[in-house]
Amino acid sequence: MSFEPKIVGFLCNWCSYAGADLAGTSRIQYPANVRVIRVMCSARIDPTFVLKALRDGADGVLICGCHPGDCHYTEGNYKALRRYELLKQTLCAFGIEEARVRLEWVSASEGQVFAEVVTDMTEKIRALGPSRFRVEQENASQPVHQEVTK
Amino acid sequence: MPIRVNPKLVNEIERYGAEDVSKCYHCGNCSAVCPHSTQPFVFPRAPMRLLQMGFESKLQNSLEPWLCYYCGQCSEQCPRDAEPGETMMSLRRWLISRYDFTGLSRLFYRSWKAELGALLIMAVLTGVGFLLWGFTHGDIRSYDGPNAFLASSAVHIFDWTMAVVLTLFLTANCVRMWWFTVAGRKDISVPLLSYLRGVYLIPLHFFTQKRYAECGHKTSWAVHMVLMASYVTMFVLIMFFLHAVQAGPEINWNVHIFGYLATAGLIGACIVMLRARVKKDHVWSERSHASDWMFLVLLLYVSVTGILQHILHRSGLGMAANITYVCHMMGVVPMLLIEVPFSKWAHMAYRPLAMFFADLTAEALLAKEKKPSGLSSPQLAEIG
Amino acid sequence: MEEVRIGVYVCNCGTNIAKVVDCDAICASLSKMPNVAVARTYKYMCSTPGQEMIVEDIRKNNLNRVVVAACSPRMHERTFRKALQTAGINPYFFEMANIREQCSWVHENEETATAKAEALTRAAILRVAHHEPLENLYADMCPSTLVLGGGIAGLSAALELAESGHPVFLVEKTDRLGGNLARVDLTAPHLYSARDLLTDRIARVRANPYVQLMLESELKSLSGFVGNFTAIVGAAKKNGDPHKEHVLEVGSVVVCTGYKEFDAGRVTHFGYGKLPNVVTSFEFEKMLREGNIRTKEGRIPEYFAIVHCVGSRSRDFHGYCSRVCCMTALKYAHEIKSAIPNSYVSDLYIDMHAFGKGHEDFYRGSSEAKTLFLMYGKNEHPVIKRAQPGEESEMLIEVNEQLSGETIEIPADMVILMVGMEARSESGDVARLVNISQDKDGWYIESHPKLDPVATTTEGIFIAGTCAAPKDIPDTVAQARAAAARILGRIAKQKIEIDAVFAEVDEDLCSGCRVCNSLCPYSAVEFDEEKKRSRVNSALCKACGACVAACPSCAIKARHFTDRQIFAQIEGVLR
Repeated sequence: MSFEPKIVGFLCNWCSYAGADLAGTSRIQYPANVRVIRVMCSARIDPTFVLKALRDGADGVLICGCHPGDCHYTEGNYKALRRYELLKQTLCAFGIEEARVRLEWVSASEGQVFAEVVTDMTEKIRALGPSRFRVEQENASQPVHQEVTK
Repeated sequence: MPIRVNPKLVNEIERYGAEDVSKCYHCGNCSAVCPHSTQPFVFPRAPMRLLQMGFESKLQNSLEPWLCYYCGQCSEQCPRDAEPGETMMSLRRWLISRYDFTGLSRLFYRSWKAELGALLIMAVLTGVGFLLWGFTHGDIRSYDGPNAFLASSAVHIFDWTMAVVLTLFLTANCVRMWWFTVAGRKDISVPLLSYLRGVYLIPLHFFTQKRYAECGHKTSWAVHMVLMASYVTMFVLIMFFLHAVQAGPEINWNVHIFGYLATAGLIGACIVMLRARVKKDHVWSERSHASDWMFLVLLLYVSVTGILQHILHRSGLGMAANITYVCHMMGVVPMLLIEVPFSKWAHMAYRPLAMFFADLTAEALLAKEKKPSGLSSPQLAEIG
Repeated sequence: MEEVRIGVYVCNCGTNIAKVVDCDAICASLSKMPNVAVARTYKYMCSTPGQEMIVEDIRKNNLNRVVVAACSPRMHERTFRKALQTAGINPYFFEMANIREQCSWVHENEETATAKAEALTRAAILRVAHHEPLENLYADMCPSTLVLGGGIAGLSAALELAESGHPVFLVEKTDRLGGNLARVDLTAPHLYSARDLLTDRIARVRANPYVQLMLESELKSLSGFVGNFTAIVGAAKKNGDPHKEHVLEVGSVVVCTGYKEFDAGRVTHFGYGKLPNVVTSFEFEKMLREGNIRTKEGRIPEYFAIVHCVGSRSRDFHGYCSRVCCMTALKYAHEIKSAIPNSYVSDLYIDMHAFGKGHEDFYRGSSEAKTLFLMYGKNEHPVIKRAQPGEESEMLIEVNEQLSGETIEIPADMVILMVGMEARSESGDVARLVNISQDKDGWYIESHPKLDPVATTTEGIFIAGTCAAPKDIPDTVAQARAAAARILGRIAKQKIEIDAVFAEVDEDLCSGCRVCNSLCPYSAVEFDEEKKRSRVNSALCKACGACVAACPSCAIKARHFTDRQIFAQIEGVLR
C-alpha cells in the first residue's frame, strides 16, 4: 500500500469547523487523511500543539481560522497568523518542510474550500513522503525494514 | 432576424373559439400524450407557444393543426386547463379563413350572425329561384314525368354548375394552403417526384380517416367514418345517378338502397354528434363554436327533408313532395356554397391534403439533414 | 481520585454513518482501551431510547465519563450533556466524536472511513479522561432590547417586546419608519396595501411608552455580553452632534437592518439610465403609489415588459434568488392590467419561483389575465434598444426565448427591471460592531440555518428580516417576532446562563508579565495591582483562548480546552 499521510487539523469552532460540517452536509468528498481537533479560536493553537502532533507522528498539520476581519473574537486569526509565521521559521530550522504546516482561512460557508484545501494538502504531503519525525521515531522503536509504506 | 412578438394575436384567435391559450405554461404534457405528435410535427405545445407569442406567419405556415383530430387527451392531461385540443380546433378554423382568399370565411367564423345571415339569404334566394323555375316550367302537383315541377335533368345541370363553382373556390384555397405550408417555405424544397409518389395519400386519408382511428377513440372515428361514407355515397348518387334517384314512383332498389343507407348514416351520425354537443360528455364536445352547430343542424335538416320528399313522392303526394323538395334545396344550396369552401366542411379537403403535405415536408427535412455539406439554394435564399 | 469509567456510544445514524463506517468493529476495538467500561452501538443515539440507554448505563455501571461518536457536536452536544445531567453527573464529562459530517458523509472508502472514525473516537476517549466538572455561571438579564432598523422587521420585533411591557430602543438611521416596505404600493399575492400594513404598526410603535424611538441614529459601539450589553447610539449623520450620544444598557440586540436594491445601472445591456422608459421596480412602485403610470414623455404606455432576475441568479452579479421579485412582477402585471385594461404585459423570466402560500394561484391568475410569459436562459440577457420611429412601440427587447427556441423581439413602451436584493454596503460595519458574521454575499449568518435561524453565533445578538437573506414580508415578520419571543423567554427567566467554558489564571504560576492583558479583545483580563497578578473576569471572557496560548508561564487554563485535553486528543488521532 502506498504512503498515506496523517494530517491533524486544528479548526476554529465558529468558521472552519462549521465549514467542515458544511462539506459533510453537502456531501463533498475529500481524502480521509485529515483528523480534526476543534478549538474555540485559531488563536488558541499553541505552537506546542503543532510540535506535539509532529512528534507524535503527524505528517502534516492544518490550521484553519476565519477570514481576516471575520474572526468571532475580532482578531484571534491575526494572532494565529503571527504565531504561524514564527513557528514556520522554527520548523524550517528543524528540517520540517514548509508545506507540512499550513494555515488557511475557511469560513462557515466554505465547505467546498475546506474540501479543496484538504485534498490539495494531502496530495502535497503524499508527494513529500513521511515526515522526518515520524521516520526517526519509527526507526528508533522498530526494526528498520518495517517501513512507513506498509 | 428576430421574430416580432405580437400579443394581440391571441385576442384574434379567441374569436375563433379558443379561450384558454394564455393559461399554458409549456410543461409539454399535451405533446407527450398526443398519439400523433412525432418529429418533425410536435404539437399541441409548439403551436400554443407560437400562438401566445403571436407568430402569425409561422402559424399560417404550420400543418400541425390539421394533424390533430381532437381526441381530447391533451386537454384531459393539461394541468392548467389550457384546453390545447380546443386551441388546435380554433387554429383549424383560423387556418381555413387564412387559406380563403375571399375573406368570407374570416367573416363567418368571427361572426355567427354573418354566417347565419348568409345561410338564410342563400336559402331564400334558392327557394324563390326554384319556385319561379318550377312554376314556369312545370306543375307543382307532379313530381316526375314530362310535366315535373323540378325536372331531374334541370336539377342535374344546376348541381354540376354548383359543383364547378365550389371546386374552383376550394381549389384556389387549396393552392394557397400548398403555398403557405410547402411551396412557400424557404428552408425545404420538394422535388416533383415526391409529389407523384405521395399523391395516393390524399384519397387514402380522405376515404379511411385512418389517423383518426389512431387516436384511440374508435367510436368517434366510426361515427366520423359513417358520416363521411354516407356523404360520399350521397354525393355520387346525386352527381351521377340523379335521374335514377328521382324516378318513381316505384322503388328502384338497385339505386335506392344506397340512398337509404346513406340517409340513415347521415341522420344517425348527425344525431350522435349533436347529442354529444348538447350533453357535453366528451372533451371534444364540451365547447361548440357557432359554426359547429350550424353545420350539424343544416346537415340533419338536409338529410331529413331529403328522405321526406322521397317518401312523399312514393306516397303519391306530389305537391307536398315538391314543396319539401324546394325546402330541401333551400338547405342544400347554402350548405354547399357556404360550408364547403368557407366553413366547417372545408376540413374534408384540407385534412387529407395536410397529411400529404406533412409527408412531403418530413421527407424534405430528412433529405436536407442527410445532405453532406454546403448550403442548398433555398438556404442561401433565406440568408440573403 | 475516583476511577475513570468511560461509556462509549457509536451511533449508526440510521444508515448515515453505518453505511460507510463499521460501527460494531470500532466498538469492539475501543472496548479494549483502558478505562472504557461500556461500548455500544445504536441506530439513533440522539433518540429518546438512545439517550435513556446512556442514562441507564451511567447509573448501572457507575460511568463517570461519556463519549458519543455520532454527528457534529454543533448538532447534538447539548442533547447529550442534558442526558448526563439527567443521570446525575456533570455535563462536561462528555465528549463527542464527529464521525458523520466529518467522516461518513465525506468519505466513500469503508476501510479508511472506519479507521478515521476509530481514531476520532479514540481521541475523544483519551480526551474525556481529562475532563473536569464545570459549573455554569449565571448573570442578570437586562430586560431592555436594542432593535436596529425601523423597517417591517424592526417594527414587528419592537412591538412584540414593547407590548409585553419591556423597554425597547428602536434605532433607525433615516428620519422615518417603514424601511423599504414604505416604498411599495400593493403586496403580492393578496394585494394588501403596504401602507395599511405599516401605518398601523408605526402608530402603535409611536404610541407605546415602552418604545424609545431614536430616528436619524445609529449604533456606534457595543460592549459587554449577553444580558448585559452597553450600547452607544449616536447621530447617523457624519456631521451630527457627537455629544448627543446615548449610552444604553440592553440585554439583547435584534439586528433588522434590511437590504438595498441592486443598482440596475451596473447591467449595461438594459440601457438603464440611457433609455428613459426603462425603470426599476422601485421606480415603478412610485408610479403605482401615485396612481400615474406614464412614460417620461407623458404618454400612457400600451406595451409593458417586465424583466426578472436583474442582478440576481446571474454569473456576473449575485448568484442567489432574491425571492420576492417573481411575485412582485406578477403583482405589476395585475396592477397594470387593472389600471390600463387595453395594455399588453410581457414577463421575461428565467424560472418562475412561485413557492409560497397563494403564489401558484397568483401565477395562474396572471396567465389567465393574458400576461405573456417569456423565458430567457440563465446567464443570457435580454437586450433593450430604441425602436425605429413609426414602430408600434418605443423600444424593442431582443432575447433568445427558451420555450420556442426562437430569437424574438418584444415591443415595449415601458420596461420594468426587477432589481434584486443585496446586502447593504454598511452591513459589514454593523456586523463588526455586534460581532456577527456575514456570508460571501454579505448576509448575516444564522446560528444554524435550519434549527436556529433567528440567533447568531454571538449570544444575545439576533437577526431578523432581509439583513439575513432575501425574504418576503411574512417570513420577515415571522423571524422578527420569533427573535422577540426568544428574548422574552430570557427576560422571563431573569437570569442568563453563561457557558462554563472560560479562561482562568493560576495565581501561583502567573508572573505578572501582563502579556495576556493586551491580547484580550474583550478586556476580560484584568491586572490586580496589589497581588501583581492577572485575573480573568469570567463574565466577560468568551473563551477564545488567545491568552492561554500566549502565556509564557502556562498559568492560564482554558477550561474545557486545556493543554492536557488537547494533547490527549492529538495522541488519540495519531495512535
